[in-house]
Amino acid sequence: MRSQTVGWLFLAPTILILFVFGVWPFVYVTVISFFDWNSFAADPTMRFAGVQNYRALVFDKGFLMALWNTLKFGVFAVTSQVILGYLLAQLFMKNFPLKGLFRTVHTLPLMIAPVAVGATWRLMTVPGLGPIPYCLDKWFGYEFLISRYVGQAFMTTVVMDIWHWTPLVTLTLLAALSSMPKEPFEQAQIDGANRVQTFWYVTLPMLKPAILSAVFIRLMDAMRTVDEVWMLTGGGPGSATRYIGLYIWRVVFPKTDYGYGSAMSLITLYLTIVMCWLLYAGLVARRDLKRPE
Amino acid sequence: MSGLKRMMLGAIAAGLMAGVAPAKADFWSDAGKELAGATIRGVSESTPPSNYVKNVLGPAFTQATGINVEFEATSWDQMYDKAIKDMEANTGIYDFVYIEQDAVYGYLARDFLVDITKFLADNPKLKAPDYDPANFTTFANYFKGKDGDLFGVPMEAFIKVYLYRKDLFADPEVTAAFKVKYNRDLAPAKNHAEYVEIADFFTQWGKDKGIELWGSTVQANTGHPSSWYEYVESVAPTFGVYNWGIDASNNFAASVEHGGKMNSPEAKAALEFWVGLLKNAPPESTASTWDEVAATFGAGRAAQGLVYGENAAWIATDESKSKVVGKVGVALPPVEPGVIEAAEAGTGYIGYYDGGAFGIPHSSKNKAAAALFLQYIAQPSVQADWAVAGSRITLQSTYDDPKVVAQDAKTDGYYTLMRDQGKLFAGAPPYPFHNQVREAVAPIFYQAITGELTPSDALDQMATTAEAELTKLGYRK
Repeated sequence: MRSQTVGWLFLAPTILILFVFGVWPFVYVTVISFFDWNSFAADPTMRFAGVQNYRALVFDKGFLMALWNTLKFGVFAVTSQVILGYLLAQLFMKNFPLKGLFRTVHTLPLMIAPVAVGATWRLMTVPGLGPIPYCLDKWFGYEFLISRYVGQAFMTTVVMDIWHWTPLVTLTLLAALSSMPKEPFEQAQIDGANRVQTFWYVTLPMLKPAILSAVFIRLMDAMRTVDEVWMLTGGGPGSATRYIGLYIWRVVFPKTDYGYGSAMSLITLYLTIVMCWLLYAGLVARRDLKRPE
Repeated sequence: MSGLKRMMLGAIAAGLMAGVAPAKADFWSDAGKELAGATIRGVSESTPPSNYVKNVLGPAFTQATGINVEFEATSWDQMYDKAIKDMEANTGIYDFVYIEQDAVYGYLARDFLVDITKFLADNPKLKAPDYDPANFTTFANYFKGKDGDLFGVPMEAFIKVYLYRKDLFADPEVTAAFKVKYNRDLAPAKNHAEYVEIADFFTQWGKDKGIELWGSTVQANTGHPSSWYEYVESVAPTFGVYNWGIDASNNFAASVEHGGKMNSPEAKAALEFWVGLLKNAPPESTASTWDEVAATFGAGRAAQGLVYGENAAWIATDESKSKVVGKVGVALPPVEPGVIEAAEAGTGYIGYYDGGAFGIPHSSKNKAAAALFLQYIAQPSVQADWAVAGSRITLQSTYDDPKVVAQDAKTDGYYTLMRDQGKLFAGAPPYPFHNQVREAVAPIFYQAITGELTPSDALDQMATTAEAELTKLGYRK
């Protein structure tokens, strides 16, 4: 009995923090989402709106566009990060001169705050000042103007995210590769498997948990990206890079539409969970189901 | 009178004067005695006038009163965000906040601000002898409540003017080439057609000469509200479209169909004109907010443009920042026929009279100290240097100060223009829903800049969206 009390006492700070910063805000946002509440409306009080905010989301072109843009951003960025991260992890498994230095430099972006990353990329891409538009113009005669061209802006946000977060994937996969036993690879060699077959039937299945972890983390991050993109493009040009996090921020803060913004946040959270579950079900659960056969 | 007597009389007179003068000069130390050691915190946008408060007036006030000033000069978005969150949550982080002229109506509607007139009447010991609300320019009227009480002490007021490169406009080679091409003398544009011709000419001139010179600045950031504000506050009015094209007296109608003017032929002409300028603007224009437009002009990259007046002084006089010192001309913005007449008659305006005030939130925990600070920065004695540094004027008496007169000459009469023609400009309309409607329509507006929508289609969609938002907010029935 006494040991249980002590256990709860040790757990109390964690539970308190979880409640104050996790449960209570979630409940609060859930409640707000059923109200029409804009503090700058003619009637600034909270008025119960039922599911009106959720219904409105379905017809909100801005929300749907932001969601679609975010999905594209997530798919492009995370896929690239996994591929590049794997290649770099394989590179770091080998020995080459200045490997330690290269690995340290490669990890540096992880230590930079997203706002600083956005500001740096903005400085690099501002026309008339940034080296990227200057070099592209001088060397290739290519007009690089992310404040005007939708495609360029989108791809720049993707590249910025890849630059920032690939090291995380690399380190995750490097840890997984380092801990792999040699036996399955030796067995595959004995069985006459070529490099592609070894990768597909041995390396990839063994790496899958690490890859999935990286994908889940990065996908969830991509769904809530705000600061980097806000610094780089402000969501423009037009709505090209107005990803869902940025869209929610604009609805909740400058627009002060608290009820609608809360509903949007909850739907986005729900969609993120569903997406991760689908991914898990597609890549892991399906295999587990097949296993008894 | 003997020399000794004279000396004695002189000494007595000096003693009397010394005894009298400190009574006024020491008001700040006397008033600050009870509050000495306190710290007041304020937030404002990082602009030349605000930075002057941060770097000069704040420390001077601390020296005079012993009250510390923590002044946060940040970006426009953050300034709003922080101030509103603080006032809404009643946290009391800030003791004074910047109130942009267009935000005051929202703040008053939410009862965020202390009635400064009443506060000083209730606390006569805090009333500084030099503080005279009657000395404010008419810009202070924007910060008054229904009963005429002041809710914000004006700290900056300026007009968005038409700046042009005086050196280029007077260059014989340039003027001759212009005359040949357009069969008229090169002069600051009076109307939009002339403005476009000049923009075309200088863009081509830059190309021909191999120099980085374009015909016009355009504040056309495709992801920041500054572009929307340039259009509704500085361009649309010159085509006779006022107050964003929303008719508040007619159930807040925005569309032509319901009696508004947001998508009227005049508005469409205005947006087409403005978007059309992009071909004659430096490439950074679609990434430019108000700050970058000033930087572009100061870097000598544009021959003309509409620039916020708070930047006029440094662009025209500060060699450490500007490449066009001594080369800046100032004029009224180009307008369509009839617009000047409407402005003179008081039924319209030709551009934006911008500025802001410092107000004290109800949530402030140091209202007395903040009230002292606001009066300190409203003293006539601190105005001239501030006006020279930030090209802003809030007191009528400042115009006649020798320092301002001298600066006026260096800025091609910017201050005189503001004093004499300021009446033709107007602040933002008294809507409490600026951010809400702007955020609703801005994404469509940005698409007009990128060319995804034509100006006509964009304005049609904007008018519909604005009305829907106003209905949702409960202003439009």
